[in-house]
Amino acid sequence: MSTTRLTWACATYAVLWLSTAAVTGQERKGTGNQPPAAKPWAPARLADGQPDVQGIWSAVNPGSTSLTNPISVNADFDQRAKGVEVRLPSRIIDPPDGQLPYQPWAAALQKQQGDAYNKPTKPEHIDPQHRCLMSGVPRLYTVAPAFKIIQAPGSIVFIWDEYHAYRVVALDGRPHVGPDVKLWMGDGRGRWDGNTLTIETTNVKGARLTYIGDFYSDKARIVERLTPVDANTLTYEATVDDPSVFTRAWTMRVTHRRRPDDEMWETACHEGNVPPDTWLLNAEGNKK
Amino acid sequence: MRLLVSPCLVLTMLLPLGAPLRSAAGGAAQGPRAGASSASIPRTSDGKPDLSGIWQVMNSAAWDIQDHAAQKGVPGGQGVVEGNDLPYQPWALARKKENYERRATLDPEARCYLPGVPRLTYMPFPFQIIQKPNEVTILYEYVHAVRYIFTNGTPHPRGPIDWWLGDSRGRWEGTTLVIDVVHFNDKTWFDRAGNFHSDALHLTERYTLTDPDHITYSVTVEDPKVFTRPWNMSMVLYRHKEKNFQLLDYECYGFDFEKLYPFPEVSSAK
Repeated sequence: MSTTRLTWACATYAVLWLSTAAVTGQERKGTGNQPPAAKPWAPARLADGQPDVQGIWSAVNPGSTSLTNPISVNADFDQRAKGVEVRLPSRIIDPPDGQLPYQPWAAALQKQQGDAYNKPTKPEHIDPQHRCLMSGVPRLYTVAPAFKIIQAPGSIVFIWDEYHAYRVVALDGRPHVGPDVKLWMGDGRGRWDGNTLTIETTNVKGARLTYIGDFYSDKARIVERLTPVDANTLTYEATVDDPSVFTRAWTMRVTHRRRPDDEMWETACHEGNVPPDTWLLNAEGNKK
Repeated sequence: MRLLVSPCLVLTMLLPLGAPLRSAAGGAAQGPRAGASSASIPRTSDGKPDLSGIWQVMNSAAWDIQDHAAQKGVPGGQGVVEGNDLPYQPWALARKKENYERRATLDPEARCYLPGVPRLTYMPFPFQIIQKPNEVTILYEYVHAVRYIFTNGTPHPRGPIDWWLGDSRGRWEGTTLVIDVVHFNDKTWFDRAGNFHSDALHLTERYTLTDPDHITYSVTVEDPKVFTRPWNMSMVLYRHKEKNFQLLDYECYGFDFEKLYPFPEVSSAK
């Protein structure tokens, strides 16, 4: 990693970190996050019939801060350059109010955890990303690092340019692994319906979804729909169904753009990571 | 132990007694058998041998790449080093012995770091090769490690770069994928016995598909800071043939934190 790239990575991280306080507890409606207008477009087909979506992609407005009140990683720059605070619409497209339909106990827990993120005093107040842990789905489709898609006969592979995270989604109709096998990335099974790849993901461990403590449990079942809208645009939608946490299933949407087809290089994370507990939990002012 | 023991049992049942079992049980690989038909191996649309699939070793090199007797928790094994001896410089041999004595704390695997190359290949976990004309990607079950092997003729980026898994540039020599690997750090080992290298490590890996289900994997190790001459290791990679076999995960540094997420209260209710 070059010095420039490192500087930008650190700056991005700082922006994400500092911007969290501003959004905690605020509500945003889910209007305005419409998918790009569908154009008649016929993707090239691979030998096994899959639409060819290989290449490197990243979210148009990435960031792990919030699903309901997302902050673009460009927000700090835009505010300084243009003097306006950039707000993005909620990523939640269903329910229509753009909010996550938590059960009351889960809403209270999320708020508590969101508050604790700013002044962490316990290990569980630290977001798993800061420990270099796999963020799982759908969160990894909201983060800033790009991901690469490789398609092999009978499968589609996603590899992220961070945390050396990857998932191999089988397209051959095989059953899910047994229910006792819980995986950080879950167990995805996909199928192409025309231009839309539908992935059903089960066997998750339960995961945090944002820095402000949004979460689902190990009972969650996630249905993702990935649609190439044109040669350079992918629409990603995920419906999360977890009756133990939410009152109903909900759906989020993120748009991804094609990136230059550069080489992806090693992304060690844990190896150079100072355990965040050592500097976050002991910060003066966080102590009660 | 599922991953280590069950393939061994299967192998024991399938192979006739005698010499073939000897070599398969951990001895250095013999290389492609003379006269083996390369016509029977799977090939990609561009005519190259197709290494795609899920593979795993069936040896004990993860514990010690040299000949070693069994200990509690350590299966005995015939080494994978050709000739068995490692040509350490005198200071390096002393360091290797110290590494062995203090392996419980010094082994980078104990800290769940990326284990380096070639060690990643012979850890007791499966890995998946995805072969494309310009790039071969290897996904490892162990800590979701990923190797990108560029086969489009591009050179190594200019160093110095300290990577855990190095920079891999591959080319086809006949039916063998030859990979040149440089730009390592000096923090990884070859095994749990303390065999080590410096950041001058230079590997030449060779993957040769000898029939549809076996790859002969050999590595030439050069490291003038640590060894007096290049040396070689060789072993067989076996294709996983179990129905619906797939990579799972082993997030080495994640186990201690599973109880925290998504919330301690939720985790304890599992």
